[in-house]
Amino acid sequence: MDKTEFIALVMPFKDRLYRLSKRILVSKDEAEDAVQEVFLKLWSGKENIENYKNPEAFAITMTKNYCLDRLKSKQASNLKIVHSNYQTSENIEKKIEANDGVEIVFKIMETLPEQQKIVLQLRDVEQFEFSEIAKMLDSNETAIRVTLSRARKTVRDAMIKKYNYGIG
Amino acid sequence: MESVNVKKILDAYFEGTTSLEEEKRLQDYFNSEKVADDLVQYQPIFAGLKVAKEERSSKAFTLPESKPKTIKTWWYSAAAILVVAFGVGSFYFSQPHYSQEEKEALAAFEKSKNAMMLLSENLNRGAEQLTFVEQFTITKEKIFE
Repeated sequence: MDKTEFIALVMPFKDRLYRLSKRILVSKDEAEDAVQEVFLKLWSGKENIENYKNPEAFAITMTKNYCLDRLKSKQASNLKIVHSNYQTSENIEKKIEANDGVEIVFKIMETLPEQQKIVLQLRDVEQFEFSEIAKMLDSNETAIRVTLSRARKTVRDAMIKKYNYGIG
Repeated sequence: MESVNVKKILDAYFEGTTSLEEEKRLQDYFNSEKVADDLVQYQPIFAGLKVAKEERSSKAFTLPESKPKTIKTWWYSAAAILVVAFGVGSFYFSQPHYSQEEKEALAAFEKSKNAMMLLSENLNRGAEQLTFVEQFTITKEKIFE
């Protein structure tokens, strides 16, 4: 596999990997670095990638593992991930300004446990089937549904709480 | 979509039992203009998920030039080996080395050189003594004249 073929293969899911990384790592720069790192790993093992039935699912699993490792090593060294971004692009920034509620949702999602973040991201943002998510996360569909339900309810409850108290 | 229907799907949504198709319907409903008043509190969730989906990576990723690199490192190591081999080789060949016969001849040469030196030294000493004899002859002639 040469460079052009590799890029053609991985490019379609680059943004997906980025969004997943950002959901876990929060920082935009960290997320960009994570994607680069995952692509380098895929590239160095490119002989194997062709053997996988679904390179995208494989890349997502790798990204998830890489980000969680990254998070662990940060916590171990007592470093907080610094993120100076909240706005992602001007376009989205405007939308967030127009809708405070969306910003609150994003903030609530940041507080979710990692596993819930990942499942919520893969299902509600990326719209993968439960069977696909289960494979990516080396889990089963029931467990994924339970985690997802918890994540959705947490977001809902936190939302309603904020609304009722008129914050935001 | 009827709001009663939406509520039903919404309940299933929070239980994690909706299908992708049902979730799509919720998305469409909450991101449309006409959301029922009693459901408007859920709207930000679906608006947020929609925004989250639109995020794009802005950094181009780069791949290392793997092929030329391997060739280069291969050349570097080959060149290094050549240099070392040349250095060691030239050092080795610059040292004079003799066969057994030559070594014996050389030793014999050294020995005879030493012997000659000894001989010439003694000869010189003898010649020095001769000056006394010469002096004697001169003085004797002075006296007898």
